[in-house]
Amino acid sequence: MKKNNSILLSTPYILWMVAFTLIPLGVVGYYALTDPDTGVFTWSNIRELGTYLPVFGQSIMYSLVSALICLILGYPVAYYIAHRGAVMQKILYMLVMLPMCMSFLLRTLAWVGLLQDTGIINNLLAAVGLPRLQLIRTPAAVVLGMVYNYLPYMILPLYSTIVKIDHRLIEAAEDLGCTPAETFRKVTLPLSMPGILSGLTMVFVPAVSTFYISQKLGGADTVLIGDVIERLYKQGNNANLGAALSLLLMILVFVCTGIMNRLGGDEEAVVV
Amino acid sequence: MSKELIRLRDLTMEFDGERILDGINLYINDHEFLTLLGPSGCGKTTTLRIIGGFLTPTSGTVTFDGKRINDVPPYERQINTVFQRYALFPHLDVYDNIAFGLRVNKVPKDEIDRRVHEMLEVVSLKGYEHRRINNLSGGQQQRVAIARALVNRPKVLLLDEPLGALDLRLRKDMQNELKRIQQAMGITFIYVTHDQEEALSMSDTIVVMDKGRIQQIGKPEDIYNEPKNAFVADFIGESNILDGVMLSDYKVKFFGRVFDCVDKGFAPNEPVDVVIRPEDIDIVPPQQGHLVGTVTSVTFKGLNYDIIVEFKGFKWLIQTTDYHGEGSTIGIRLNPEDIHIMKKSEYSGMFGDYSSYSAEYDELTEDAGDEEE
Repeated sequence: MKKNNSILLSTPYILWMVAFTLIPLGVVGYYALTDPDTGVFTWSNIRELGTYLPVFGQSIMYSLVSALICLILGYPVAYYIAHRGAVMQKILYMLVMLPMCMSFLLRTLAWVGLLQDTGIINNLLAAVGLPRLQLIRTPAAVVLGMVYNYLPYMILPLYSTIVKIDHRLIEAAEDLGCTPAETFRKVTLPLSMPGILSGLTMVFVPAVSTFYISQKLGGADTVLIGDVIERLYKQGNNANLGAALSLLLMILVFVCTGIMNRLGGDEEAVVV
Repeated sequence: MSKELIRLRDLTMEFDGERILDGINLYINDHEFLTLLGPSGCGKTTTLRIIGGFLTPTSGTVTFDGKRINDVPPYERQINTVFQRYALFPHLDVYDNIAFGLRVNKVPKDEIDRRVHEMLEVVSLKGYEHRRINNLSGGQQQRVAIARALVNRPKVLLLDEPLGALDLRLRKDMQNELKRIQQAMGITFIYVTHDQEEALSMSDTIVVMDKGRIQQIGKPEDIYNEPKNAFVADFIGESNILDGVMLSDYKVKFFGRVFDCVDKGFAPNEPVDVVIRPEDIDIVPPQQGHLVGTVTSVTFKGLNYDIIVEFKGFKWLIQTTDYHGEGSTIGIRLNPEDIHIMKKSEYSGMFGDYSSYSAEYDELTEDAGDEEE
């Protein structure tokens, strides 16, 4: 009876998954392996992927750099929040979440307004007599956009890991002769590992497939794989090649999360 | 015999205006096994944490080997701690946990290896080197915690209720084990517990604490036989505590009757607390008794019966190996050495009456304290 109920209750979700995840996945696979004009099976889309490898490399690089910058910026913030009083923790947690309440598109557009050639920053520079700078359409602007948008995804898992570290372990390390710096290196940091890995994954995965940030903040030389896919679908009229790229991107994301999970697997027992 | 190692002078500690420690004065000798004993919230853990360097006292001084160490951080003290519930590093295995302190102190690799294996042997955990901490039982974790602290050869080992989480049998084994290790290694142990039996069986010196103050310091026998006030008499073992009047040296009057005793040095007719241990009372036929009472309850305890006997409205606990049924009338005799006289204190009248007796009374004291801060 109970079993029947649980199947009944999960039916809507299963149907949803089949209709909007599994079937589309199959469609993507189908498109990737068929000819755009005749619709017959072909490897040509897959073979063409080789030419896009540099774009893939660029996407991975930008995302990794962004994820690492997020880690460097996010760790101290998460550490700070985790060591406040209960009320302060809640307030700061809310503040970290706050930007996520605003549209992602809007947040990125706001940066355009700040960085563009006649934007706020450049106008300020001009007003005080300094030369205008090339801020927008640079790799740095793309990385900035990624870091700005995805930083909360780094801070939140870090915070929830750090806050769970037993304070007595810190005392134990000090008791055994560790200076505060050594305690951090030998105890706090290793015990933060699950949070670090999940933060890196949570930043890397959306960053590697983004197109909006690079379109708005990047230039001709900062094309990411997401941009290419979008263009193939919307302008290039080659949905089949786009599907093949999507497939490759998906595999890439799976491999990355797989590696992260493997690295984190060892620590998993620690957190639970 | 031994020289003084640690001294606490006029130590007070306040958290948010609440006074946790109130004028602690105590010295601890080298190689001593000293126990801080008291109920939950008495300040024993706070005292230990001050010695360990995790808390800075509000006022007063802590000296170690004659030097003031109030502001010396934990990592610079020659003191190691066995924490309540162990605080082992979950990301390291048994070997790495034990080697932790040696590595921090840059001990050569081969010496680390030798000393870790030596410690594993001491705590009987050979072959467990590469077990993960989470795969160990409570008793094994306990021993890793002790090994992790002892391997550094500290001058002083602080133990914060280290056996609290173990079952009774394991606790008894570990008590003997700890005592053996302490004697073999010649390290000063400062041990915190709320378990009076543990304190009595392991310690060289017991410090009984309550309400942030030291109530009595002494050898286990002295604490048991010569409790200073009603709190100590009640907390250590079982006690019947009655109001009495010291007529003169060696003469005390209670229940309208004058008894011989072995205490002196009180003012004439000074009101006192009289302590009579339940196991010291001889039961005799009513006509031969100093006092005659009625048995109101009997509990079989294995080794003996605990019987509650009512004398003129006051209930006593008596331990006897002979069965006396509920409702029977018995007489008791008290020898002079069975009667212990204490000065009146703030605790007078609060303890030692078994009117609200229940069979769980000894468990109550054991459950009382777990964690305090």
